Amino acid sequence: MAVIRHDVRMLRTSEDVVGARQTVREWAIAAGFSLVEQTKMVTAASELARNTVHYGGGGTMRLEALNDGPKRGLRLIFEDQGPGIADIERALQDGFTTGSGLGLGLGGARRLVNDFDIHSRPGEGTKVSITRWK
Amino acid sequence: MIARQQQEMLELSTPVVQLWDGIVALPLIGTLDSARTQIVMESLLQKIVETGAGIAVIDITGVPMVDTLVAQHLLKTVAAARLMGAECIISGIRPQIAQTIVHLGVDLNDVITKATLADAFSIALQRLGLTVAHRT
Amino acid sequence: MESIPILKMGKSLLVSIQVDMHDRLAMRLQDDLTARIAQTRARGVLIDISALEVVDSFIGRMLANIAAMARILDARTVVVGMRPAVAITLVELGLSLPGVRTALNVEKGMELIADMQAGGENGRHQT
Repeated sequence: MAVIRHDVRMLRTSEDVVGARQTVREWAIAAGFSLVEQTKMVTAASELARNTVHYGGGGTMRLEALNDGPKRGLRLIFEDQGPGIADIERALQDGFTTGSGLGLGLGGARRLVNDFDIHSRPGEGTKVSITRWK
Repeated sequence: MIARQQQEMLELSTPVVQLWDGIVALPLIGTLDSARTQIVMESLLQKIVETGAGIAVIDITGVPMVDTLVAQHLLKTVAAARLMGAECIISGIRPQIAQTIVHLGVDLNDVITKATLADAFSIALQRLGLTVAHRT
Repeated sequence: MESIPILKMGKSLLVSIQVDMHDRLAMRLQDDLTARIAQTRARGVLIDISALEVVDSFIGRMLANIAAMARILDARTVVVGMRPAVAITLVELGLSLPGVRTALNVEKGMELIADMQAGGENGRHQT
C-alpha cells in the first residue's frame, strides 16, 4: 500500500473546520468516491475536525491519498495535544443526540468510514485516523 | 470508467416509475446484492427529490431472497426518505422473505408494508387524500 | 461577522442556508432566529437546507434546538430540501432529528406548516 500524495492542514478555528470539509471533499473526489461516499467522508472529517478545535485546543489534519493495488483510498489523521480522552469506549458510544454530553461525534465518525483508529490518553493528546476505500 | 458504466447500467435496469402525481414506485426484480441495492436506493431517493413525490413504493415481488445486508439497506432507505420528508411503503413481501426478516431479527415495525403493489398504491392514494371514483 | 438572512412570509419565517456554516455562524443563526420568532410572534419557521452538502451532528443539533425553542414560543418548524446524500449519511450516523418535521421542498413545507397550525399534528413525517 502506498501513499501517493499527502498534505497537512492546521485546525485552529471554526473557519478551519469549514476549510477542512472543503479540502476533504476535493481529495475524496480525486480518489473517485461517489457522491454518497464523499459525503460520508466529509461528514466524518467534520466531526473529528471540530473535536480537534473545540476539545483538543487546536491541532492538525493530515490527508493521505492511498493506493493499494487497484484500490484507491483516502486517510485522514487528526492530531492534537489537548487533554486527551479518559474513557475512549464511552466516548465512542456517547450520544451526540443529546446536546449535554461531550458529543464528540467519535462513534458517528467511526460508522461512516472503513477503518478507524484512535490513540488518546489524558494529558497526552489525541490522534484519530480514519480511512475510506473506494 | 468501467465502474461508472456499470453504475449507469444498474440505474437504467431498475427504473423508478411515477404511478401518480406524488407517488413513485421502484419495482425490484432479481437477486439483490448489497452493492446493487445501495445504488438503486440512492437513485430512488434522487427520484423522490426530482419528482417531489411524497410517497415511494418499493416493490419486491420479483425478489426471491433477501439477506440481512439487503434488508438493512431497505430499512436505511426508508429512514433516509423519511428524513427527507417522504414516506416509503414496501410491497410484495413473499412469505419466505417475511420469515427471513423475522428470523434475522430485523425490525419492520416502523415501516408500512403491503402484500401487493396494488394495495400499496391504494394506501398511497388514501394518504394523499385521493380516491378513485367511477365516471357517472 | 456575517449572518444568515431571515425573511418574513406572512406569519412564518423563512431561512435559506446557502453557505457552509462555521460553528459561530450556526450559533448566531440559532440566536437570531429565536429572537425573531419572539419578536414577530411567528407561527411557523421554514428552514431550507437544499444547499447544504453536509449536515453533521453539530448542525443536526442546531436544527433540533431551533425546533425546540420555536416550539416553546408556539411556532412550528419544518426543515426542507434535505439532499439524499445527506439523508443517507445521517441515517448511517444514527442521527435522527428529534422534534424536527421535514418536507421535500419549500412549497410542501409551507403546506405542512399550515397543516400543523390547523391542529393537524398527526405524526406524519416526524423524525
